[in-house]
Amino acid sequence: MRAEAIRVENLVFKYNRLEVLSDLSFSVNAGDYVGLVGPNGSGKSTLIKAILGLLSPSSGRVSLFGHAASDMKDRERVGYLPQKMSFFNPNFPATVRETVALGLVSTKKFPKRMGSGDEEAIDRALEMLHISDLKREMIGALSGGQQQRVFIARALVNEPEVLLLDEPTTALDPETRDGFFELLGSLNTQKRVTVMLVTHDLGTIGKFAQKLLYMDKRIIFYGGFDDFCRSEEMTRFFGSSSQHLICHRHE
Amino acid sequence: MKRIIACLCALILCAAAVSCSRTDRADDSGMVKIRVVTSLYPLYDFAGKVGGKRVAVSLLLPPGVEPHSFEPKPADIAGLNKTDIFIYTNKYMEPWVGDIMKAIDNKKVVLLDSSRGIVFMEEKEGEDSRDGGHDEHKQGEHEGHGHDHAGMDPHVWLDLGNAVKMVDNIRDSFIQKDPEGRDYYQKNADDYKAALLALDLKFRNNLGSCKKKVFINGGHFAFGYLAQRYGLTYVSAYGFSPDAEPAPGQLLKIVKLMKKLDLKYIFHEELLMPRMAETIAKETGAQLLFLHGAHNISRDEFEKGISFVDLMEKNLENLEKGLECGQKR
Amino acid sequence: MSIMDFLEYGFIQRAVIAGAFISVLCSTLGVLLVLRRLSLIGDGLAHVTFGSVAVALLFKVYPLYISLPIVMASSFGILKLMARARIGGDAAIGILSAVGIAGGVLVASLAGGFNVDLFSFLFGNILSISMEEVYTSIILSLIVLAVIVFNYHDIFSITFDEEFAKACGINTNRINYMIVLFTAVTVVLTMKVVGIMLTSALLIFPAVTAFQFARSFRNALIIAAVVALVSLVCGIVLSLLMNLPTGASIVIVHFAVFIAAFMLRNAVSREKARC
Repeated sequence: MRAEAIRVENLVFKYNRLEVLSDLSFSVNAGDYVGLVGPNGSGKSTLIKAILGLLSPSSGRVSLFGHAASDMKDRERVGYLPQKMSFFNPNFPATVRETVALGLVSTKKFPKRMGSGDEEAIDRALEMLHISDLKREMIGALSGGQQQRVFIARALVNEPEVLLLDEPTTALDPETRDGFFELLGSLNTQKRVTVMLVTHDLGTIGKFAQKLLYMDKRIIFYGGFDDFCRSEEMTRFFGSSSQHLICHRHE
Repeated sequence: MKRIIACLCALILCAAAVSCSRTDRADDSGMVKIRVVTSLYPLYDFAGKVGGKRVAVSLLLPPGVEPHSFEPKPADIAGLNKTDIFIYTNKYMEPWVGDIMKAIDNKKVVLLDSSRGIVFMEEKEGEDSRDGGHDEHKQGEHEGHGHDHAGMDPHVWLDLGNAVKMVDNIRDSFIQKDPEGRDYYQKNADDYKAALLALDLKFRNNLGSCKKKVFINGGHFAFGYLAQRYGLTYVSAYGFSPDAEPAPGQLLKIVKLMKKLDLKYIFHEELLMPRMAETIAKETGAQLLFLHGAHNISRDEFEKGISFVDLMEKNLENLEKGLECGQKR
Repeated sequence: MSIMDFLEYGFIQRAVIAGAFISVLCSTLGVLLVLRRLSLIGDGLAHVTFGSVAVALLFKVYPLYISLPIVMASSFGILKLMARARIGGDAAIGILSAVGIAGGVLVASLAGGFNVDLFSFLFGNILSISMEEVYTSIILSLIVLAVIVFNYHDIFSITFDEEFAKACGINTNRINYMIVLFTAVTVVLTMKVVGIMLTSALLIFPAVTAFQFARSFRNALIIAAVVALVSLVCGIVLSLLMNLPTGASIVIVHFAVFIAAFMLRNAVSREKARC
């Protein structure tokens, strides 16, 4: 029996008395690759934040590696890419190197300092995203796509066991996007990194993710992509032409 | 949250109630008194002494507030509407008087410039008030000009001779408003002027033969008239208003002067923290002495009912000490 | 008079020493505050201090004993308003600032006046610093700077991306409250030593000047501190040589340095664009 990386039990989240997440229950095993999809406002980002312990559930439980999310101490095991931040200040004086280093140092325990091997880890992360030449650049000077790659590198720098990525490809051009999915795919297959990826792009995710979690405040479907395509329920839900379109792209 | 709002409302109501009660002298008999509002403490004291039972005097400036930056609030203006006489020091001390009078609807309010007939000294930025050409212009010469307050030293009341003239002006305005009280006001004024002149004589005698002829104030240039009257030299760290920052040149000049003349004392004034005086004292090894400029008094002083003459007596004592005067008291 | 002659005077020595420590302290805090859009917190807390001193004088308690707790509480209030009322730092500061002044005025009415002029009490001047104030400035600066250095990475992380920092397990609340608390204490004590004009300027100018040139966050902090020190010294020298008010001279030098940095950066980027 594979270890459970993420377990969500009866998760309810209310925001100003509005129920954003209704009684969600599911689990993600170590090494799974889950695509989290749903319409706008379906609570996908909220779910990711709840899993990370950034938001406290109104009721229910969330656990990471068996620990309650808010109690989990080994944060370096989790990599997080927040949704492209609207509040992000491009004039912030930080270099690419400093930004990626944040992913490394922030998760350390006391004393928080760059240690031996850290500089190499940063270099490796930058290399994976093909932005090594941007190391000393100021983050504000980069294009949207380049900035996004920096943030992805920040999520990867710790070589985490679990990756939670909130819409990682929205700013990326198609070529970079494909490269990114390849990278994620290889991390998942070769290094057994658990991936949970939020995306609008239902079709593309089908190519890479083995599981799909379709939600709209509650779970509509959770299972393998093939099952999704064969499911009559889904045909009714999406309409057969949409389903066909989505599933057809899956090889 | 609701409790906080309730508390705030209660506070506002309380404050409104309290600030409506002006700082008034007690009303004893049922007689109809002249209502007088004064803008500065010495006028408050003079008016009270001259008017006695026949007037109800109040002071616009709240205790403890530094008058050079004071501006009246709407409630003050409302209060002025209901008064009979509004006495102000002079247009250099209260440049806002002109505007305020426009805001007052009640045309029967009598406005008294208490410094009428007084000769002004030109403003000296903390310099020697004797040399450097103090030009005394008759006030009349400046009348037609309409600019003004940068130019003349407003602290006229600290020259006791001027104080006497101010008392006369106040007496005359009371008599004009209330002719029946003529004799009463006349007598009060005469008595008070006698006290002032006696005090003046004491100043002359005691400050006549002092080892030092220069006194330094770590505050602003308030004592020019006093210095001039008794033939002393006065230097201050700040110019006319204590709000501005002093330039280092003035400080250095004072330090050098004190060392050169071997001045053992430096003065500081009322209501202001004596930071500058303390700095100068530290630099020169001098001791601090207090001089009250009588612009305004503190809450404690107000509650004790201190008088202008009291303040000046204390000033004399400290000046004697600071100037190392020979007279034994 | 030469500069060396000036330096013989105790009050000028104290101005330089206390001024230097305060400059580095305020410039460092300023970098954090400006990035969080809390640059006007100096002014805002000064207004709160005014109100708090009024309360202290009403009860005839030594003002600092009342001011410090009230201002510290207000700084927490700013954070809470930002979180709960969903408003920005600037509006939160504005609220506390207005309440501080209005409260002070109300209390002043209730008190029926004071024994000292409030403004004279609150606002110091760089030329009139006492020896105790020099010690206070040094100790305060060393403590705050030490804590910031100690928590450098967490502070950087939170200032850059608070949500990510929280996801990494950093106790963002603790650090936020700590920074704001230090700011409160710094504003109250610095205001009393050098006045509010200089305090506000020190919290803003070095930071914005540094941002014109900084090549990294660490650089920004260092440049800000250097700029603050250089401006302080130049300002003092200028005021001595030309007999100008010292505090204002320092502020003008800060501004001039900022303008120079800004123009230089523009010139450099235009050059780059041409290539």
